[in-house]
Amino acid sequence: MIWGWILLLLPIAGALGVVGSSARAAKSVALLTTLATFGVSIAAAIEFKVWGSGDFGLVSSIPWLSEVGINLSIGADSVAMMLVLLTTLLMPLAVLGSWTAVSERLKEYYGWLLLIEAAMIGVFLARDLVFFYICFEFTLVPMYFLIAIYGGSGRARACIKFFLYTFTGSLIALVGFLYVAWCYAESTGTWDFEIATLCTFAATELSLGQQLWVLVALVIGFAVKIPLFPVHTWLPLAHTEAPTAGSVILAGVLLKLGTYGIFRFVLPMTPDAVVEWAPILGILAIIGILYAGLICWVQTDVKKLVAYSSVSHLGFCVLGLFALNPLGLQGAVLYMINHGLSTGALFFLVGMMYERYHTRDMNSIGGLAKRMPIWAFFMVFFVLASVGLPGLNGFVSEFLCLIGTFAAGESGSYPGVLGPWFAAFAALGMIVAAMYLLIMVGKIVFGALKEPVNEDHHDLPADLSPREIIVLAPLAVLCVLLGIQPGIAMDAMDGSINETLAVYPDIVKGAIQQVTDAGSTVLRGGMNQ
Amino acid sequence: MILPSLIQVLTLGVSETAMLVPHADTEPVATSDVVVATQHWWAGFILYLPLISLILCGLCAAMKVKTKLPAWITTACLLGSFVFSLLLYFDYGGSPELIPILSWINLNDAGGNFAGFSANFTLYVDSLSLLWVMFVTGLGTLITYYASEYMEADLGKGYTRFFAGVSVFLFAMVALVLADNLLMLYLGWEGVGFASYWLIGYYYQRPSAVAAAKKAFIMNRIGDLGLALAIYLIWTTFGTIQYDELIDVLRNGSWKEAYEGWTIDAIPWFLMLAAFGKSAQIPLYVWLPDAMEGPTPVSALIHAATMVTAGIYLVARTYEFFLLSPESLHVVAWIGGITALVAATIGLAQYDIKRIMAYSTVSQLGFMFLGLGVLTTYGAAYHVFTHAFFKAVLFLTCGAIMHGFAGQLDLRKLSGLIRIPGWRITSIAMLIGCLALAGFPLTSGYFSKDAILAEAFISQGPGFEALGWIAIFTAFLTAYYTFRVWFRVCAGKVEYEPGDEHHGDDDHGHHGGSFHPHAPRFAMNFVMAVIAIGALVAAVPYFLDTKADDALTGGWVADMVHDSTAQGGLPGLDRHGQSIGDPVEHGHDVHHGDGDHAHPTILGMDPHMAMYIISGVVGGLGLLLAAWLHLFRRQDADRLKAALQRHWWIAWLPRAMERKWYVDEVYHGLIRAPLWVASHLMYAFDRFLIDGLLVDGIARIPRMIARWFQPLHNGIVQSYAVTMAGGLALIALLMILFIQFWKVGGGG
Repeated sequence: MIWGWILLLLPIAGALGVVGSSARAAKSVALLTTLATFGVSIAAAIEFKVWGSGDFGLVSSIPWLSEVGINLSIGADSVAMMLVLLTTLLMPLAVLGSWTAVSERLKEYYGWLLLIEAAMIGVFLARDLVFFYICFEFTLVPMYFLIAIYGGSGRARACIKFFLYTFTGSLIALVGFLYVAWCYAESTGTWDFEIATLCTFAATELSLGQQLWVLVALVIGFAVKIPLFPVHTWLPLAHTEAPTAGSVILAGVLLKLGTYGIFRFVLPMTPDAVVEWAPILGILAIIGILYAGLICWVQTDVKKLVAYSSVSHLGFCVLGLFALNPLGLQGAVLYMINHGLSTGALFFLVGMMYERYHTRDMNSIGGLAKRMPIWAFFMVFFVLASVGLPGLNGFVSEFLCLIGTFAAGESGSYPGVLGPWFAAFAALGMIVAAMYLLIMVGKIVFGALKEPVNEDHHDLPADLSPREIIVLAPLAVLCVLLGIQPGIAMDAMDGSINETLAVYPDIVKGAIQQVTDAGSTVLRGGMNQ
Repeated sequence: MILPSLIQVLTLGVSETAMLVPHADTEPVATSDVVVATQHWWAGFILYLPLISLILCGLCAAMKVKTKLPAWITTACLLGSFVFSLLLYFDYGGSPELIPILSWINLNDAGGNFAGFSANFTLYVDSLSLLWVMFVTGLGTLITYYASEYMEADLGKGYTRFFAGVSVFLFAMVALVLADNLLMLYLGWEGVGFASYWLIGYYYQRPSAVAAAKKAFIMNRIGDLGLALAIYLIWTTFGTIQYDELIDVLRNGSWKEAYEGWTIDAIPWFLMLAAFGKSAQIPLYVWLPDAMEGPTPVSALIHAATMVTAGIYLVARTYEFFLLSPESLHVVAWIGGITALVAATIGLAQYDIKRIMAYSTVSQLGFMFLGLGVLTTYGAAYHVFTHAFFKAVLFLTCGAIMHGFAGQLDLRKLSGLIRIPGWRITSIAMLIGCLALAGFPLTSGYFSKDAILAEAFISQGPGFEALGWIAIFTAFLTAYYTFRVWFRVCAGKVEYEPGDEHHGDDDHGHHGGSFHPHAPRFAMNFVMAVIAIGALVAAVPYFLDTKADDALTGGWVADMVHDSTAQGGLPGLDRHGQSIGDPVEHGHDVHHGDGDHAHPTILGMDPHMAMYIISGVVGGLGLLLAAWLHLFRRQDADRLKAALQRHWWIAWLPRAMERKWYVDEVYHGLIRAPLWVASHLMYAFDRFLIDGLLVDGIARIPRMIARWFQPLHNGIVQSYAVTMAGGLALIALLMILFIQFWKVGGGG
């Protein structure tokens, strides 16, 4: 199918176009390209035809190094397709959002933006492990330059830390991948890097011990990306220093590469090990939720606050992933989308404020509702989506993650290894989220008007310009839509999620049986203790 | 979809009921035949209209409308909601109905035996939700109309925003009340929390308003956490969160086979936490008095119709869970009783009349929880109903005074309002509200409070009799502090000082230095009069003929509770909604155990009769005390206070009461401040230990290794230097950490 290739190549072509055009035309070319890519992704979604089932659509393969089983094979299941749509939606908004914020080295800037789009689409479309990994790693390069060239004052340290940290993590994941591929070659005599083949092989043929090593390697790689406590410290730094569009892409899509990696690789490849290790990962996720949430509470830099809130929020997503039941997994995948929408929008809003006042310090700015009512409206709206107000999108995913975690006890048709205690502690995060987000709103949106003196001249109106409203409005509409009719996404992804979970009930039951036989229920927050 | 399982459960239910209940000769009340009433599709408009109003207000805001249009839109839409509620009431067939509107979250397992999760926007109409939705929309309409005049100083500024907020408020409350499942209830539940955040923080440039709004939202969130956990528990235990299915399973006992472990016992405790948060009970009540930072019509909405009654509604709606765990009901009763007393003592010592009314709400809500705890859901519901009227009128009159006297609310600085031209309706309306709140004989509050108080003596529970006396004492305090307000503000000689609020620039008659209060005009007077009459008429339902049997006292409101999920708390009925034969034998199997007690009495009289007398006397005494100290000899009040303050052993008491028993300070010191310090420590930990020491440290290892492999080049001095530098760095780091902690400790 041609659609997948167009999706991949269009941004690359656009990047070449941007480099070839004049600096003045760069942003128009970038906007047109990203819009066209979005259009193509919509067409691809219509052409996709396998919504609701667990199959792959848009499947296509070009032989590459076929003698060692490496091919350029692409395709997407419904979850990947959703994330592609999220990516292609956010990109034109990111371009529009940078319209006035970036004024130097325009060609490079938009070139990198388009390249990162191609890389992200590649990650979601890859069906070949090597191709996946190349795209996965390549996302780092454009982001590195976006931070290094267009970032804030501490950008040098931030971009190096971002690059080295996630690169190291990815290398460890690569070791895990290569180990699986090597085991496959050992046992069958041929090399193959088809993701589905390797997943099936690893899940069925590897021993528990082997799976554990693979799981540790993969989780380290993906946990850095997510980021999971305690490997999260690159994120606040990178977010704070990145330009607005960089933060939006980082929070909106790049972090999801980690959770997507867990969904795509960890869950299907190492089910036995997952059952063994889910409680530990669950505990890390809960620590992340509460710890990062409380840290948010004492932030004074708005952008850092939103950055730490990502650490806190994605903890819910990780819990949902390891709940090992359809509720939790649906919740987790929805969380990826919803977090991309609402946190992406929050970064846009912070950027719009920064562009006007050149500060993000909550103590030196306040009461902006008076000066910028439209901005204030959107700010409060997306904060509420982020807090998880029912009726908006964040609530649905948070609720599903938590109820999935809660229900992941030892009984039922989808037994799990988390359980009520995990959900109860994680749910405290709901209160913490309200605390830090409302404090932020209380300081910068409400209260007496406090505007720092800004010497720099900018051409922006006091309140949002139509262009800025166009950036935010689609996100707001989607937040409402997914809040009231999450079924649109849930029904579409049902098949993939059930497929991923199909092997788990038996494995969990087996594991529980073993533990019960051994007379110990350590680490299991089961219902019936 | 639900029907097949329903029929199955129904048939099972009938046989089970027949076995469990000794008096099987009466026909079981068919509460479980819930029908899907598609013919009532128009009931959806009760929900849509506030939403439409919100959208239209949004349009008004976008088009910068500077007239009263938003107020008229909102009033009209809410009136429409009210009319539809009435139509639904008159067309209601007597058995619960489901009215589907829109799907929401559904998850079915393709594989088969996973129970599936389902929560849709479907209306559940039974007598309880009808009762609630009628007074919510009715009072909501009136209060909105009142606000159209009250808020006019903000025309073109926040006017539209205000009415948009009111629309959200009403929408959320209606969704809460009409939900057919706990998740949609949760939507309304958080929705009213959010709307109150919006409206309490209406004057967003005032820091105290922002703080109060935030406090309300966060305190409510703590309660919401309880509700969320209860929903998880209920779903994992029963596989459903829809009322009709839950009630069936609970009533017919079929859960017993599937049930093991602690989950069922835990459910009521979490529901209780939720209800205490929303309905401002100890320990989560502190947000409600602060909520008066919002414009007064908002306070009237929060305190009377929407918001705080939601907690009572939740408990009544999920009463079957509470019946399974009698201890939980005992706790509900005691928390309610204690909250009633504590809030009343605080109300006693305040000077701000709106604040006094706010504490009286907390106190009255305590009475309602007491009623729920002592198994009179009907008493609680009736008190909610009467309270909605008289508390609304009290807040609206306070609002009129505040509006007219430039924000003056101090009862020491206002006097003799009834003699000022134009303030008669306000004063009389306030008098009616005060009489009802004080439980003056033959007012609505008198009957509804008695229904609760009497039951405290009838039901058997740990210390319920003492609780009953506490409640009677609280009723005395209530009568006193209520009339303290009225005698000070409305009676006596004419004297007043304006407040310092100029929310209409020179709109308040500050001409040439003299101040003329501006009396309420038609809209405000009309609404105050109508609601005051409502507060009087609310006594009538008590005497209306009841369609149930003789065992049932309480008239129309009892009927409204009878056909609902809360019927387990009706005197004279067992938890299957059946008469338990002997009409004298109030209560039922849960609190009576084997059910063979002598009929309880108070001072040798029938409890209901005794309570009519006692509470009449107590109310009268409170009123007389207030008349003495605050009408006839006001100087005695000051003398009394001065006398109290002369004695060290009692001097702390009035101060502690005035400072609200220091609860806010205690919360701040015990919870917020430690958490604040801990958060700073965590942030320091994150930056210095995790990021600084571990991450950067590990990042340095390769470089250090490279150095170690070149000892010849650098010699021994260099390695000393490395060690020293490392050691110094470590010491410096520790010092920075120490200073950071110290600063945080000092600053937090």
